[in-house]
Amino acid sequence: MPNSDDFRVKRIQKMLLEMAKGNFFYTIEPSDKNDNIASLVVMLNMVNEEIGAAFIHQGFANAHNTPQCVVQLSFILDGNGQIELLTNGTCSLMSYLPKDLIGKHITAFMTEKSVERWTKKMTKYLKRERSETVLFLEFVTNDGLLLAKDCQISVYQALDGSGQKIHLNSVFFSKGEPFETSLPKKKLKVTKGIKEHKVTLTPDDIQIIRDVHDMITNNLDKDLPTLKDLARQKGTNEYKLKYGFKQIYGTTIFRFLIRERLRMAKTLIQHSTLTIKQIIQMTGFKSKTHFSRAFKEKYGMSPSDLRA
Amino acid sequence: MKKSHENNYAIYLLTDDLLHIIYKKVPCINLKAAQLIVKDRMELQEGKPMPVLCDIREVRNIDKAARDYLALDGSLWVEKLAFLIDPPVTDMISSIYLDTHAQKVPTQSFTNKPEAMDYLGVKEKDNN
Repeated sequence: MPNSDDFRVKRIQKMLLEMAKGNFFYTIEPSDKNDNIASLVVMLNMVNEEIGAAFIHQGFANAHNTPQCVVQLSFILDGNGQIELLTNGTCSLMSYLPKDLIGKHITAFMTEKSVERWTKKMTKYLKRERSETVLFLEFVTNDGLLLAKDCQISVYQALDGSGQKIHLNSVFFSKGEPFETSLPKKKLKVTKGIKEHKVTLTPDDIQIIRDVHDMITNNLDKDLPTLKDLARQKGTNEYKLKYGFKQIYGTTIFRFLIRERLRMAKTLIQHSTLTIKQIIQMTGFKSKTHFSRAFKEKYGMSPSDLRA
Repeated sequence: MKKSHENNYAIYLLTDDLLHIIYKKVPCINLKAAQLIVKDRMELQEGKPMPVLCDIREVRNIDKAARDYLALDGSLWVEKLAFLIDPPVTDMISSIYLDTHAQKVPTQSFTNKPEAMDYLGVKEKDNN
């Protein structure tokens, strides 16, 4: 009984087990219900996304040794959608043995919604000799969990004349085994220079830096105090603030500020009727030239082009 | 002044002093949906900051990209925000959203509309 509480709790346990293993790419199919188990499912899915994102963004925690590997979901299908070949990683992602998958139709392992999307889109793509697209698909694993991801799909002609084939591909980040056992080399470095600034951050320091991050996000129109003053205000020192911020967010405070200002400017340009001049004032930019240059660098077009 | 608008994901009711957004029952609010929701809201408000009552009682799933977008880009011209929720599911959704995203706008969740209106400082004129 897929709707019994017992069944639903089992799904939750499976999902928690996967999370414990460092696999944050599964989800549980949400239901229409509004009961405690449904709320737990919603919570688990959301928490899973938050942890997963923090995990992939290596700088978030003390990340020097975070092992990370890429698991590939990869199928080769014949023109009808039957599975011909898959990788080992695909089998373990789907928790099936190869023999359970090979020869079956790919849609047998998708949610109803995805089957619909697949059927609709692929009829179109299979008419061409070669085509490539990205489709959002939800696969159902043997354990009943969902794997939802944008998949790269290429239709091509086999060289041996056996006709049309489909290559379906997507990647997931997992904790899994590390790439290398020696010290990671090109991990998030604090500076580009010769000297590596490494700060040890206590939970309190991290909280302070997060506060600074939020403070900047919420005061984009205002001038940023000097790092020294900012550090004093928050009860930390300039060094920790400067290098700690970079360690956690992977960018300097100043670059982050510009990035967020540009983001706000972009939203305003797209969805408001304010003049560019007004937007420049609202987003704290001092000069129009600087704004336009930074904007073009980031979004590839000038503010006025985006407006038009 | 009274205006209304509807897209695939939400219904908007705009009066002089309040914007009431009712999220529709959809399988999932994703980034594309969130972008449309914000775009339509901003176009409706025409630059006027106002309190917003956001009825999310029918929401069952909203993904991280959408949550991040709503928290970062989605708060322009929102003076104050009240979520209308129906425990336990939407209560959970609003709590996680509020706890994991820094809020630019004062926000609180309510299970009944009069309390939400009270929080927003808006007198209720109609009875929907």
